[in-house]
Amino acid sequence: MIFKQIRHEPLAQASYVLGCARAREGVVVDPIEDLGVDFYVLEAADLGLDIVAVLETHVHADFVSCARELAETTGAPHRLHEAARGLVRYDLVPLADGESIRVGQVEIRVIHTPGHTPEHCAFLVTDHARADEPWCVLTGDSLFVGDVGRPDLLVGDQALDVMDEGERAARQFASIRDRLFTLPDHVEVFPNHYGGSTCGGVNMSGKPASTIGFERRFNLALRQPDAEAFARFVRETAKPFPDDYRRIKSINLGLTARQKATEATR
Amino acid sequence: MTDETIPAADSVLDARGQLCPMPIINAAKAMRGKPPGHVLELLATDRGSLADVPAWAEDTGNELLAHREEDGVYVFLLRKGEEAA
Amino acid sequence: MTPDEVAAAVAGGAVVLDLRAPRPFAREHLPGAVTMQFNRADLADRAELVLPRDVPLVIHAEPEPIARVAAELLAGAGFRVAGRLDGGLAAWKAAGRPTVELPLLDVDALRARLDALEVLDVREPFEFRHGHIPGARLLPSGDAWSRLEEVPVDRAIAVVCGDQTRSAAVASMLQRAGRDVRLVMGGMVDWLERGYPVEREPARV
Repeated sequence: MIFKQIRHEPLAQASYVLGCARAREGVVVDPIEDLGVDFYVLEAADLGLDIVAVLETHVHADFVSCARELAETTGAPHRLHEAARGLVRYDLVPLADGESIRVGQVEIRVIHTPGHTPEHCAFLVTDHARADEPWCVLTGDSLFVGDVGRPDLLVGDQALDVMDEGERAARQFASIRDRLFTLPDHVEVFPNHYGGSTCGGVNMSGKPASTIGFERRFNLALRQPDAEAFARFVRETAKPFPDDYRRIKSINLGLTARQKATEATR
Repeated sequence: MTDETIPAADSVLDARGQLCPMPIINAAKAMRGKPPGHVLELLATDRGSLADVPAWAEDTGNELLAHREEDGVYVFLLRKGEEAA
Repeated sequence: MTPDEVAAAVAGGAVVLDLRAPRPFAREHLPGAVTMQFNRADLADRAELVLPRDVPLVIHAEPEPIARVAAELLAGAGFRVAGRLDGGLAAWKAAGRPTVELPLLDVDALRARLDALEVLDVREPFEFRHGHIPGARLLPSGDAWSRLEEVPVDRAIAVVCGDQTRSAAVASMLQRAGRDVRLVMGGMVDWLERGYPVEREPARV
């Protein structure tokens, strides 16, 4: 399996290129506009992979995504969990909970993990060339290393808030406890953020990877006895909102066009 | 194969991402000027290197001490021979 | 360049350099296209080993960012890059222009048909000496462009290298020169993995 975590330090954001070398096929997960379409196209080419799908764990609020543009440039489908369909203003090929995407010997299974956002999902990765058991999980903004994705980021438009904060926190708690922590201990955790990112709380580790086993034992938010205590804990350990999150979310939802400020400098 | 029989590398050539014949061209460059007995660890992702590298070692008088595959990366341990360039 | 401009450039002596992966290339490509595998690390170095300097190149690569970067890398290495095919294969076909196929075979099929095929090994002499397919001829990839006329027109030829990186380039050159050629996917690595017989006698001239 080819597996590359691409860390964009200014936003402490991680995107991923993974695939099967023999099949020459790969997927990109959570690509960031700051790196851009060309970056991912060339990265995949250098790894000997043709991009066959562009996946996102959720509609991001803290960085502008280039998933749509990457999908257009490569001809690959842009995919988000089907719950995003009612929220975004563009076409996508929906993902269903439990659906498996196969790229050669690599299998990617969708786990719907609502909480941070209603359409959030994690991607469980199995490399059948090595074993038929899962090896790692891309957790997006649900489970972080040492922390959890905040449930309080709103678009600000009441019509789009499909869940209130309390319900999101409860969903986040259940998603992690019942859908991620039920995975085997050895499964590695690869999140969308780490360190100083404001998508998580003050306990988020600077280490950009962990394991289910370690997080199950030592993630403080999940040590809380119930959803209410969890919600309180997350509120009390929250960081300031991400810069510009309302505008960024609006762009990623397709509600507003992004400013092509960089066009003039090219 | 016990660990005592495989010496540690003196230098590493990371040829991952290179396509054939570049890994062996660069291995030849890396070996130039090194003393006999120098152990080079060569990392390659090009599948052709499974055939290229042993052939190059035989041709140049460098000894292929060991090779293994780790997650799609081929790791070769080569020792510079007495007569090698 | 539009498909018409590419066709005109080819008529004027340019060579289409197709940088897509071997299987899509084999399925269909522009007539006369020569193929190489793209990467940023050593595309220019590998091109210098097998392509002539004096022939203008038209880049066919997909998606577009790869074509742009490839053109920069090759021009930077001193190649004459005449342009890039805009819109790729889809544009070429939409303009009603024909494509050709390069037959592929794996080492099992090669073994089964060895008697009926002329095997051309495009590796270096030392690689050939180390072990080659019984009866194979040697034509190092770096010499292929200038020695194409040595390859018989009346035989069915199977081109092989370590895997298929170098053999794809030479197979496409031979097809361009009107030879009846097919590309062996997996090459000597697969052949050896199967335990098929190899010879170590010196190269047949």
